[in-house]
Amino acid sequence: MTMTSNLAVGARDHRGSPIPTGAMIMTRFMELRKRRGLVIALLAVNIGLPTIFLAIRLIAHAVAPHSYGVAGGYDIFQTLIVAVMYVFGFIVAATLGCTAGSVDLSEGMFRHLVVTGRSRLSLYFARIPAGLMIIVPIVAIGIIIICSVCVFAAPTKLNFDGANNLSPGLSRQGFITWAEDHPRVAVCDMGYQYNKSSSSTAHVNCGPNNEPVVVTNRSGSIIATPATKVELRAQAIKSAKQNYANYATTFLSPPIKLMIETGLWVELWAVMGFLIGLGLSSLMGQRTVPVVLLIVYEIVLTPLFSRVGIPHLINVQRGLVGLAMAHIEPAGLPAVFGGMNGGNKLLTESTTVAIIVIIAWIVIWTGLGAWRMATRDA
Amino acid sequence: MSVTEVDPGPKGAAHGSDLAVETHNLTKRFGASVAVDGVDLLVPRGCAFGYLGPNGAGKTTLIRVLLGLTRADAGSMSLLGYEVPRHRDVALARVGAIVDEPRFHAHLTGRENLELMAAAREPAARERIGPALERVGMSARANDRVAKYSMGMRQRLGVASCLLGDPQLLILDEPMNGLDPGGMHDMREMIRSFVAEGRTVVLSSHLLDEVERTCDAVAIVDRGRVIRQGPINELLSGANMEVQIECSTPDVARQILASSGFAEPVEVGADGLTISLAAGSDRSIVAELNRVLVDGGVSVYRLQLNQASLESWFLEVTTRLGAS
Repeated sequence: MTMTSNLAVGARDHRGSPIPTGAMIMTRFMELRKRRGLVIALLAVNIGLPTIFLAIRLIAHAVAPHSYGVAGGYDIFQTLIVAVMYVFGFIVAATLGCTAGSVDLSEGMFRHLVVTGRSRLSLYFARIPAGLMIIVPIVAIGIIIICSVCVFAAPTKLNFDGANNLSPGLSRQGFITWAEDHPRVAVCDMGYQYNKSSSSTAHVNCGPNNEPVVVTNRSGSIIATPATKVELRAQAIKSAKQNYANYATTFLSPPIKLMIETGLWVELWAVMGFLIGLGLSSLMGQRTVPVVLLIVYEIVLTPLFSRVGIPHLINVQRGLVGLAMAHIEPAGLPAVFGGMNGGNKLLTESTTVAIIVIIAWIVIWTGLGAWRMATRDA
Repeated sequence: MSVTEVDPGPKGAAHGSDLAVETHNLTKRFGASVAVDGVDLLVPRGCAFGYLGPNGAGKTTLIRVLLGLTRADAGSMSLLGYEVPRHRDVALARVGAIVDEPRFHAHLTGRENLELMAAAREPAARERIGPALERVGMSARANDRVAKYSMGMRQRLGVASCLLGDPQLLILDEPMNGLDPGGMHDMREMIRSFVAEGRTVVLSSHLLDEVERTCDAVAIVDRGRVIRQGPINELLSGANMEVQIECSTPDVARQILASSGFAEPVEVGADGLTISLAAGSDRSIVAELNRVLVDGGVSVYRLQLNQASLESWFLEVTTRLGAS
């Protein structure tokens, strides 16, 4: 080997620029994807869990269709997205981010890279597209599998609040007409919230053996008498009117618009997990503690502080990115971390504030990680 | 060596310097502790330069400061004539370095680790991966995961990583660590071959014997300060010498020398005498010793003039400084 190059090559290839080259991004991508344990965890959570769950349901339904319902459908879509992809997708994405942000330091490669004269910022920024090249496709594949099964193996009749074989997509009047035609189902299977102020008046309810009865409260004693057809039909209409809003957002399978919005929303959360993990681990110079902190943040702190308002700290709580993400959650999904149907409501926050919070988290954590990378001893 | 082209480089950079490394009053502190204490270091181009010192003397810290791995608290420095950290990107483009023990991503192969480092350099660096692996004798194991490498193989891979930038200056921190005698010999040969190509090699080590065999010039560092520097032969010319004389009657020989006016210290052993000569003594004194002893009737079987080794000189210098 003889020296044939010139000294100013470092100036020509813009080595001081903070923008990483394509080769830096691709080799960093290679370094991350070859971490078998981490990639297996990513695949297992984002693809493996939904696939196994859906495969078992498909097999069970194929073997015993009367005992086991269809594999897909709107309910299954909601469950897998909110309970698996959203929560665990964030955690494994954050773990990948923490790995990308700390392994050069912990494995002694950072100084090899710094002595090339390459800008430290470009070394840091190369990790972002490299990590996203892993996270985004894996999450997308997981969502595509869920959507595919939930659409193609969806039930043909709606099961709404226990009312089986209900046709989907009825208009309000159509839904009321159906209730008139099936008053016993509408009264006994669909829920109905009575107005507490009128609790003393008589109302139709489901009695023993699913027999409709008129319940009357007379001087503190409850009296139930069998309901007439007219009374039953009137209650069925009231129940249909009250439940129509929920019915209208209940589908046999997830609508395309909802699937797209959900996919983007879950991808955004996974990307956030990666970027926050990257910034935090770069700041701390290690992987384990940031991973633990982010798991605690996702599983404990976000559900808690998104719903329990602390006096004088409400505006601080509104700065939680988990709360912001919950506020831009697509309509048609159940609230993340529960909280519906009588649970504590989410702290209020406008969509604008939620978007600002999300952008701020990306900018701040990326900035902190980059700053520490540029200033730390290698 | 052939440097076929030299770009002017960035405006204001003193790229034409004859020095590969130049520092003035370079200082690095860690709290109250001064790891590098006002170091003035001048490393000429095209030589193997040893940076010698005991463990904890500040050798690695100086290298880290030079390479921009940590910041200096005071002083100025330049690499290959480029002021750093101002022109760090340009200077380091032609510098290869191993700092501390060479560590890599253990889950990647040797070649993949080099690809990662080459990507941070110019596009041509990728084409140098194969030749660099071949040069350090790692081609056969290049596709094995680094986790399976021995310490010696990691050292070799570290040297290969230095070659990716076609460096004019190599800075190697304790490159002999973990090598067996064969590996040390190979490393020595490799360093000499780099110098033969016109590259400058700065070798930090506490292994005096290795440095003496490998380097043309040295700097001695102790407690963060450079206490001596220069070409090895010039430094050793200022060191004491000794003459060993094997003779028939050592006691008689001693008396003869004393009566002849020799003032140098004489030690008497079972087989002969050992006479310490002051630095700069003329070689003719050995012949004079022989003549006096033979004239006095002493049978002289062997006369040997020993030049001080780097090790004895190093101990002499550091002992003297420690005493003062």
